Amino acid sequence: MGSEIWLGLFSGIAFGFVIQRVGATNPHKMARAHLMIAGDIPKFMLMAVILSAIGLLGLETAGVANTRVLPTSLVATGVAGVLFGIGWGFCGYCPGTTWAAAGEGRMDAVFALIGGLAGAAVFAHLHGYLVPLLYDPFNVGQITLADWTGSRPAAVVLLVFIFGLCIGAIHFLWKEKNGSQVP
Amino acid sequence: MDKKNISPLYWPWLPAAFALAGIIVFIFATFGPPASSSGFVSTMKGALQTVAPNYVENMTHYAMMPDTGSWLFAFVLGMAIGGFAAGRTGTIPVRDVPEIWEKRFGNSRIKRFAATFAGGFIILFASRLAGGCTLGLFISGSTQLAVSGLYFGVLIFAVAMVTARLVYGRIGKEE
Repeated sequence: MGSEIWLGLFSGIAFGFVIQRVGATNPHKMARAHLMIAGDIPKFMLMAVILSAIGLLGLETAGVANTRVLPTSLVATGVAGVLFGIGWGFCGYCPGTTWAAAGEGRMDAVFALIGGLAGAAVFAHLHGYLVPLLYDPFNVGQITLADWTGSRPAAVVLLVFIFGLCIGAIHFLWKEKNGSQVP
Repeated sequence: MDKKNISPLYWPWLPAAFALAGIIVFIFATFGPPASSSGFVSTMKGALQTVAPNYVENMTHYAMMPDTGSWLFAFVLGMAIGGFAAGRTGTIPVRDVPEIWEKRFGNSRIKRFAATFAGGFIILFASRLAGGCTLGLFISGSTQLAVSGLYFGVLIFAVAMVTARLVYGRIGKEE
């Protein structure tokens, strides 16, 4: 147990440091990203996935990757995605950024964190009712892009292509207006 | 890179993405898929265990998650420490009420805190239903080429963009 905790702590510190420095813990910046005014945060997220997918392919080739693919439930994952989008667009925080932003000293993030603990507790209480209702009947399994492309490297190429297109689209469609730049 | 977006306060997105990907790959090598919404469950499990051990034992959602003595909890705690260290050593201004929110809804802290409490509640409720959040499902999932992560990712970005437009309305257009 010991080394696992230190690894988690170290990974978290590094992760929290980077997302603060790029501005992902700033809900003002997040709102501007959602309003298609500033594209750096979504570009950062998509590029991180591209690079991680390539890196993970390397780890898999070397045989040192620990993977666990979450199943797709058409209804539960879909309903959750819509609810999550409403909460994210409304408050500008996602679960990970609340911890880093609370550490940074943003009091609104502390309340988002407390709200999150309450939300997790309420879901945990309703798990026995909601999961058989929304998740299990529509669970299509641990499907990945590799199931369609036939091989993992081909799927990584496809992912890099799609995410690259998204970054390009953000670059051209997200525009700073009136030259207003508030930090 | 968009020149107008370069601000000395923030790291540019491309090198930051390399840094984050390095950390994510390190996590895949030393632990497994990184996740942060699970850390909320671990926190609640650790807290509730001390006051209502029987309740925690009988709840599936707590049974499937480790308590606070785990990588998952150490990771979210680490994120708070990392955010603190980055905030203290950097020059990014910290506010309790974001500028854009203040323009739209005024500078009331109570109103903003109530809003983020509600927002935090919704995003965690939703994450636990899906099995992960922006990190645990979208980033970790897409990195593993999982359809669940891509499906969730498309929805959260699309719905958040519509929601932000509804919330900020005209203010958003003037920004």
